[in-house]
Amino acid sequence: MITQVAKRFVKTVLPLAQGLSITFRHQPPFHEPITVEYPEQKRPMYPRTRWRHVLRRYDNGLERCIGCSLCAGACPARCIYVEAAENTDEHRFSPGERYARRYEINMLRCIFCGYCQEACPTGAIVLRDDYELADYHRSDFIYTKEMLLEPIPEPQEE
Amino acid sequence: MAEQELVTIEINGIELQVPKGEMIIESAKRIGVDIPFFCYHPRLGKEQAANCRMCLVEAGTKQPDGSVRMMPKPQTSCTLPASQGLVVFTDTVAIQKARRGILEFLLINHPLDCPICDRGGECPLQNNTLFYGPGVSRFVEEKRHLPKAFPISDYVVLDRERCIHCARCTRFSQEISGDAQLEFLKRGADTMVSTFQNTEFTSRFSGNTIELCPVGALTSRVYRFRARPWDMKSQKSICTRCSNGCNIWLDYRPNRLVRVLGRENEAVNEEWTCDRGKFGHEYISSDRRLLSPLVRRDNRFVTASWVEVYQLIASRIRQAVEERGAGAVGAIGGAHLSNEEAYLLQKLMRVAVGTNNIDHRLERNQVAGGDTLLARLGVPFTQTAIADIEKAKTIFIFGADLVDEQPIVFLRARKAWFRFGAKVIIAHPEPTETELRFDEPLVLRYRAGTETTLINGLSHLILQSGRAVTDGISLEELQASLSEYTPARVAQETGVAEDALREAANLLGEGTVILCAGRVRNHPEYAVLANALVNLTLLTGNGSRGNGGLNILLPEVNSHGAADMGVLPDLLPGYVPVNDREARERIERIWKASLPAEPGLSTQGMLEAAAEGKLQVLYVIGEDIAQKYHDPELAQRALENAGFVIVQDLFLTDTAQYADVVLPAASVAEKEGTFTNTERRVQRFWKAMNPPSPDVKPDLNIFAELAVYLGKPLPVFSAEQVMEEIGQVFPAYAECCYDQMPAEGVRWMPTLTDRGK
Repeated sequence: MITQVAKRFVKTVLPLAQGLSITFRHQPPFHEPITVEYPEQKRPMYPRTRWRHVLRRYDNGLERCIGCSLCAGACPARCIYVEAAENTDEHRFSPGERYARRYEINMLRCIFCGYCQEACPTGAIVLRDDYELADYHRSDFIYTKEMLLEPIPEPQEE
Repeated sequence: MAEQELVTIEINGIELQVPKGEMIIESAKRIGVDIPFFCYHPRLGKEQAANCRMCLVEAGTKQPDGSVRMMPKPQTSCTLPASQGLVVFTDTVAIQKARRGILEFLLINHPLDCPICDRGGECPLQNNTLFYGPGVSRFVEEKRHLPKAFPISDYVVLDRERCIHCARCTRFSQEISGDAQLEFLKRGADTMVSTFQNTEFTSRFSGNTIELCPVGALTSRVYRFRARPWDMKSQKSICTRCSNGCNIWLDYRPNRLVRVLGRENEAVNEEWTCDRGKFGHEYISSDRRLLSPLVRRDNRFVTASWVEVYQLIASRIRQAVEERGAGAVGAIGGAHLSNEEAYLLQKLMRVAVGTNNIDHRLERNQVAGGDTLLARLGVPFTQTAIADIEKAKTIFIFGADLVDEQPIVFLRARKAWFRFGAKVIIAHPEPTETELRFDEPLVLRYRAGTETTLINGLSHLILQSGRAVTDGISLEELQASLSEYTPARVAQETGVAEDALREAANLLGEGTVILCAGRVRNHPEYAVLANALVNLTLLTGNGSRGNGGLNILLPEVNSHGAADMGVLPDLLPGYVPVNDREARERIERIWKASLPAEPGLSTQGMLEAAAEGKLQVLYVIGEDIAQKYHDPELAQRALENAGFVIVQDLFLTDTAQYADVVLPAASVAEKEGTFTNTERRVQRFWKAMNPPSPDVKPDLNIFAELAVYLGKPLPVFSAEQVMEEIGQVFPAYAECCYDQMPAEGVRWMPTLTDRGK
């Protein structure tokens, strides 16, 4: 009888303990946690990850974007709208003749394929690692040029 | 045209028969063989330039023994005429290598700034490089640098770095437009396109060089950086800037017109546009467009809803009709409306208001009973088709600066002279630009005001010479009336030398095309002058056959259509006199309404009545009469003294400043319909964009809705449906149903008299 009870105990509880031991091994203090406390903590993204677009600048602060609209042409979701204008000596935005007066991306439509980045002849539009794109209103998903542009880099002293 | 001799040639092993002398590049098109090119253009010049070397082919001739003897070097197919037994290869290894070489050479000096070039995306150089060029260049050195974005006129920007020296623009300006303002400077690597000493490029056709340029060397200043080809949509349309009716493409981005391109129509504009047409449609996307109806309150315009303005207009019209009868209401306008709208406007006035006070004419040729031409030649205004002008033997440009007034007719006239050797006579009291575009034309510099004397003098000389054709003329009467116009007297009165008169009379004969424009239409004694011109036309044998004829070219886009549609005080649609009971009853049966039988007031009559305070309601549609009427002071007085003025327009014009109600109308890009050009060609235009505001309505809707408020609904669902009704009322328009209309439009033929062509 006793042996029977012991046999049953071993048959039922031991596997349970075995299984739980794996669980406990992955628990503090035996193991670092795998999940992160998201809003407070963030995971580092892979270098080639494709999230929110950024319009880059040259080191001297001029915009790289020349308003050529090739990104809009390459975009399979048709979510980019570009309106170009001509630089003048008084109002210079980019090095050449042409700059983007309006540059808008509809983030609701964007599928983050990165074709725009591939099409860009000056490396102006890039997809970076900011993935926090949720918002409350549809109209807020139209990202304008002002939102997309990098801040003007600080002059480096060396 | 004589039968052309056919020869048998062989292209890439395919045997075909082509007319002898046809260039191989064109023969290849017949069998769908693609030959790349830059400088070749079928419409440019008598001969091709053959300076881009892109269309090289290998060619040889078949020998009697069946072998082929090849030419030692590749030939340019744009200058290689087809001859019996010619054998051509377009895609051999040697040719492929030659093409790669040519493109590599062209790209050595080409900046490759495609991303910012307005031609990028629709550039023949890009396309040919993609299909035939090398993938990489061996040229690693610094490229040549020349001034970029150099404006040579208000419309054209020249980028000398991009130019590949194909000579298309220079050939266009020398051979087609004739102003010869563009030319190559220097030689070799320094070659560049330039105007004379960098003066402004003032050609009236400069826009075409932009379209011709196979790279982005000549680009538009208006369109500059507005869009890339993949950003925009295109819609077929008709130019609204004059009565020639050029076919155009409207290219637009969401609710903004970005540019206008020429659209091919062999019968009208071939593929050209004038600068007024190409750059003159900016008004469509102007910020100053009217966006909602306006009503005058306390001497100020306030916005109102359509319901309010319709009720106001309807009550004022009803009040006027009750107090003074339907004759106290009048409408001016229609030359800027489509055929369907013009038709509905006159139906609105005749059926819903009950008056014949309706007219579209702003010039002095407000002759009752239609035009003199209609009575004597059987056509309302023009006998010659635009395309037939090039077959003319003599072109008599009478009192018109054709380049300015009728640019596309001018291009045909110049083609007739340049390509086909027509003789040109120009009669004008002042030196005109048109004279400079022909080499030594016969110029008759008459004194202004002696037009009729000059024409009668020429008729007299033709009658005397014994060459006169006298069918359909009462000869004795004419001889008697012309006998006093002896050459000596005419020379003395008009100030034209007698020799010149005789020379001109000798040139006039069968195949003479007479082209008249604004000066004739605005002649104080228009009817007398028109009669004299008809006499001359009949005497030279151009009354009913051949390519010659009299053409009084019209001012506005749909002047002809408005007349066809009966926007005239004494004629119903189809030139039916209102007092012709039988014909009127036929239309009454179709419309199921009774029509006023008394002819109404012409524009002049309405304005005079309004100035005296006799007109209670004046409805002005799309015409700025305060500025454009031939007597602006009268128009202004009329607008001040009319009881109630309704103005329907795109903008708050000077006329609208006098208005009590202003209705915002849609532009040509925002509606569909048809226009009838000066040669009677009915052509369709399509809707491209939405109106700038939902409160802006097409004129068609405004007329239909106004009719509802006036208690006589004219049910209308679409322009197409109106056109079907027009076809019933005016059978000449029966072919113009939208689903039947061919691409080049329908040139309706008058069947009013058997004399009409």
